[in-house]
Amino acid sequence: MMTSAWRVCAILCGGLMWSVSSSAQEARPVHPANSDKVSYAALDALPDWRGLWFPAIGKVGGTQPALVGEARKTWEAHQAQLKANPRYEVPETSDNCEPDGMPSLMTFPYNLEILFTPGKVTIIQEALMQVRRIFTDGRPLPPREQLDPNYFGYSVGRWEGQTLVVTTIGTRPGQRLGIAGIVNSDRLTITERIFLDPANRDLLHLEFTFEDPEVLAEPWRRTHTFRRDRTWEQIEYICVQNNRHRIDEKGQTVVPRIN
Amino acid sequence: MNKLTSLLASCAMGILASAPAFGHHSFAMFDLTRRVTITGVVAEVQWTNPHVWVYVDVPRSEGPPVRWAIEYTSVNHLTRLGMTRTTIKPGETIEFQVNPYADGTAGGRFQIMKLPSGRFFCDVGAVQQFCAENNK
Repeated sequence: MMTSAWRVCAILCGGLMWSVSSSAQEARPVHPANSDKVSYAALDALPDWRGLWFPAIGKVGGTQPALVGEARKTWEAHQAQLKANPRYEVPETSDNCEPDGMPSLMTFPYNLEILFTPGKVTIIQEALMQVRRIFTDGRPLPPREQLDPNYFGYSVGRWEGQTLVVTTIGTRPGQRLGIAGIVNSDRLTITERIFLDPANRDLLHLEFTFEDPEVLAEPWRRTHTFRRDRTWEQIEYICVQNNRHRIDEKGQTVVPRIN
Repeated sequence: MNKLTSLLASCAMGILASAPAFGHHSFAMFDLTRRVTITGVVAEVQWTNPHVWVYVDVPRSEGPPVRWAIEYTSVNHLTRLGMTRTTIKPGETIEFQVNPYADGTAGGRFQIMKLPSGRFFCDVGAVQQFCAENNK
């Protein structure tokens, strides 16, 4: 049973917590996506992207990456290793239930569920149950230096007709960029154009443009296609349920490799 | 499918990428150039993510059986191929084809299994072709 002294303390502390959080709240802007004046009816104008989107094997296109500087040297080093040993694999972080981040989230060989709510598009990748939010409420992209680099970055989008155009910055340097062996710097900008195939509403196209002055001499385009499935829902994927890989004292995965 | 996806992506790019593991982990511990067939008694099924594991006791001509650890893809991929947590049961005798561990450890990466019903079940990817042809 709570003594009266503890009860007083609990009330005081609870009140203090409440006032701190509420004053912090007042100082922060409310973005349109979260305001109390929203229109769900506006969603009716958006295309039907319901169902699950599975990557279409073999439907990858685009341009060649024009690598520069260290990125080029690293790529060539990996190629030399591969030539010397066909079993060589580029070490990557995803070995330990750790996401590859953007842009890899979009093209994992599982599926995407894409949700529209007012001012926001939410993309759920079944693999690792990764969630990514794209703000379509007109908010500006924050300055790069104000962002704490993270796996998925900060994404704002806008609708150009039936095409969702997304700009993402603020991803962690060192994440896979397009292909194993190429990683981004902290100056990466990802542009995505996502739209239904005009001739087949069950195909979704994703056109990436990667711009990273420390890695690429010119914008690198990669295109992917997804097939719609209306019969499945996403299946739970808890990667730590039976993960066998150990983590060392630096947080790195200890993976059995025979390189 | 992981390898195939990457390979096709690489070909489309005109770049021979170094076979990235596009899923949960590297396949470097397996000898993907070899496929071995074993028949044994299922000891345990771990219907889990990121990978399903099946332990099988494989008899030898002399001495106790050797326990093989067979690693499958995820519950998610297997579910969509029609496998469930009860498709194989402890105590059943099943024939498996696996890519063995490169270092000789008893186990490997799942490729094909022949269920007691006689039907085959195949991993995701190119080996699906085998099931398409043999389950007619």
